[in-house]
Amino acid sequence: MWPTPVEWQIVRFTLAVCALSTLLIFPFGLAVAWPLARRRWPGKLFVETLVTLPLVLPPVATGLLLLKFFSLRSGVGRFLHQHLGIDVVFSWRAVVAAAAVMSFPLLVRSARVGFQSVNQRLEQIARTLGAGDARVFFTITLPLASRGIGAGIVLAFARAVGEFGATIVVAGNIPGKTTTLSLEIFEAVQLGHDASAYRLLIVCVIIAFGAVWLSELLMKRSALR
Amino acid sequence: MKLEIRQLSLRLERFTLEANVDLHNARTGIFGPSGSGKTSLLETIAGLRKPEMASIALDNQSFESTAQNYSLPIRLRRIGYVPQDDSLFPHLSVRHNLLYGGNGKSKDRTLSFEHVTSFLEITSLLDRHVQSLSRGENQRIVIARALLSAPRLLLLDEPLTALDAKLKDAILEQLGSLHREFGIPMLYVTHDPKEAIEICEEILMLESGKIIARGSPRELLA
Amino acid sequence: MGRFPRSILFLAATMALHNAYSAEVNVCAAASLTDVMKEIAAAYEKQSGDKISFNFAASSLLARQITEGAPADIFFSADETRMDDLEKAGLIVPETRRDLLSNSLVIVVPNDSKLTIASPDELITKAQKIAIANPRAVPAGIYTKEYLSSLGLWEKLESKMVPTENVRAALAAVESGNVDAGFVYKTDANISKRVKVAFGVPVEKGPAIRYPVAIIREARNKSAAEGYLRYLESENARKLFERYGFIVKF
Repeated sequence: MWPTPVEWQIVRFTLAVCALSTLLIFPFGLAVAWPLARRRWPGKLFVETLVTLPLVLPPVATGLLLLKFFSLRSGVGRFLHQHLGIDVVFSWRAVVAAAAVMSFPLLVRSARVGFQSVNQRLEQIARTLGAGDARVFFTITLPLASRGIGAGIVLAFARAVGEFGATIVVAGNIPGKTTTLSLEIFEAVQLGHDASAYRLLIVCVIIAFGAVWLSELLMKRSALR
Repeated sequence: MKLEIRQLSLRLERFTLEANVDLHNARTGIFGPSGSGKTSLLETIAGLRKPEMASIALDNQSFESTAQNYSLPIRLRRIGYVPQDDSLFPHLSVRHNLLYGGNGKSKDRTLSFEHVTSFLEITSLLDRHVQSLSRGENQRIVIARALLSAPRLLLLDEPLTALDAKLKDAILEQLGSLHREFGIPMLYVTHDPKEAIEICEEILMLESGKIIARGSPRELLA
Repeated sequence: MGRFPRSILFLAATMALHNAYSAEVNVCAAASLTDVMKEIAAAYEKQSGDKISFNFAASSLLARQITEGAPADIFFSADETRMDDLEKAGLIVPETRRDLLSNSLVIVVPNDSKLTIASPDELITKAQKIAIANPRAVPAGIYTKEYLSSLGLWEKLESKMVPTENVRAALAAVESGNVDAGFVYKTDANISKRVKVAFGVPVEKGPAIRYPVAIIREARNKSAAEGYLRYLESENARKLFERYGFIVKF
């Protein structure tokens, strides 16, 4: 009934990788969401489409793009291999990359809505009180957008945990190295190890509860009561 | 104080706001019916709106000069702005709202936190949540916040709207003596003759975006 | 009767007759059989008028799908264990089971690789990542593990292994250059232009690879399936199997 040590390792690995990927996309997600929410500029439609792509493309297709991008035959892959000794494909780094790319659009969408919901009048008032753009952003905009941003983080994390298609293409399912919860459940189903699959499924449900509970906690503590 | 507004032209929905005035009274009123452009005028002075054409200067410091393609950023204008709508930061406590623009100290004057909060009778509200305030309390805090940023000029846009008569009278008295108490000149927008007479030394009468009269409120409105 | 209704009648009759004669046979076959089976099927379709449709995947996945009731007429597995599982579960017609083919394993490297492998133990020092079909389930991977274990090399090489869904995915991994080497069937290496064989496991030293085929008990088109099965043991089929590099056992 209780998860095996191997299963525990997979759970820990999955949580660590997803936390890392969510952390990585956080600043970039906000940096993209803000101009999308507030400004009009040439090429905006193109950026919006690019950001939405991982949502619409079949995950395995996105995995293929990542595979080509980091392949040892590509510019990026070769550079990382020769100059930094880093191989992305078939390693935990690919798991992070897949999770980050697939969850990025969800963060951006929610954060964008969060930013759009901020009363810009309050930002202007802050300026009359002497605040510069950076101070306005961090003390007014960000806290008031925190509900949307928080929701975006939870969604992104959840999407990262559930990520499968891109991961299996670019990271593979290597026991002890890249096997995530999703990949392990797939393997268990394939091999007919249903008990294991159900155990891991329950862990996923608990993670979902945890993520929602955490987001509610953060909401209560932060900006808007 | 010396506020020079030259060749102002701002296109609004139904008309163009135009102004060409020099203001120097400590308590100047802008009087007119709703929709006459009063709020837009204040917003332009504060820097929240960009006019098509204008040359604005306060105490010889240029704010806006379309001829020279120059516009002083809002945060450098040191103008206190009390708008009509809710403008307290909902995520901060009253105390943190008040201190957002400063604690009263600046290079040309010092207003103490205690003086401002006791004058506007908000000392008991300092640790309250913004959501729990009544409209009257809300307005007094907004005014205090603007004061504590040690502005050179205070802009008030119909601060007493939606208040009951008794409360109005109480705050009216405070507003009337604001300049005497703190030495900060103000532009006061209203459509209520009683307020204008009570508070302002001089008023501009605005109608459909044009200044149609200027003079003592008692003469123009009584 | 006018001309219009009469032609419809004619059309309907032709279609009915056509349906009575041509059937669709669903074949679930191991991934390593992809290319050869497609070519054999094309020839058979011309001759018989039947249509062959395929589901190529790892034998383990196919066996699982058939167990869960996926519609299939024929199962062509890359190892006996998957077929045994189905036979124990009573899902095949035992009398139709026969061993058709065998294969051999090879170590492949990307075409532009400078790696030379004189024997499998050289992989320990010369390769960082080795692609292999999932050794927990897929026959090609199971055979590889069996072989390497017999040489006492499995534990030493295990940490370098990159398991893939099926043997063709292992081949693709080598083709892409993202791994240094891979274990695939000789027949897979034959059809790929982007890998080269670095080492061929001698058939006598390697694991006993067997490809059994059988008709599924729940098959919808038993007679058509039987017809196709017979064709698989024909001279034409034999020539094609051998051309692709399979070892024919009939």
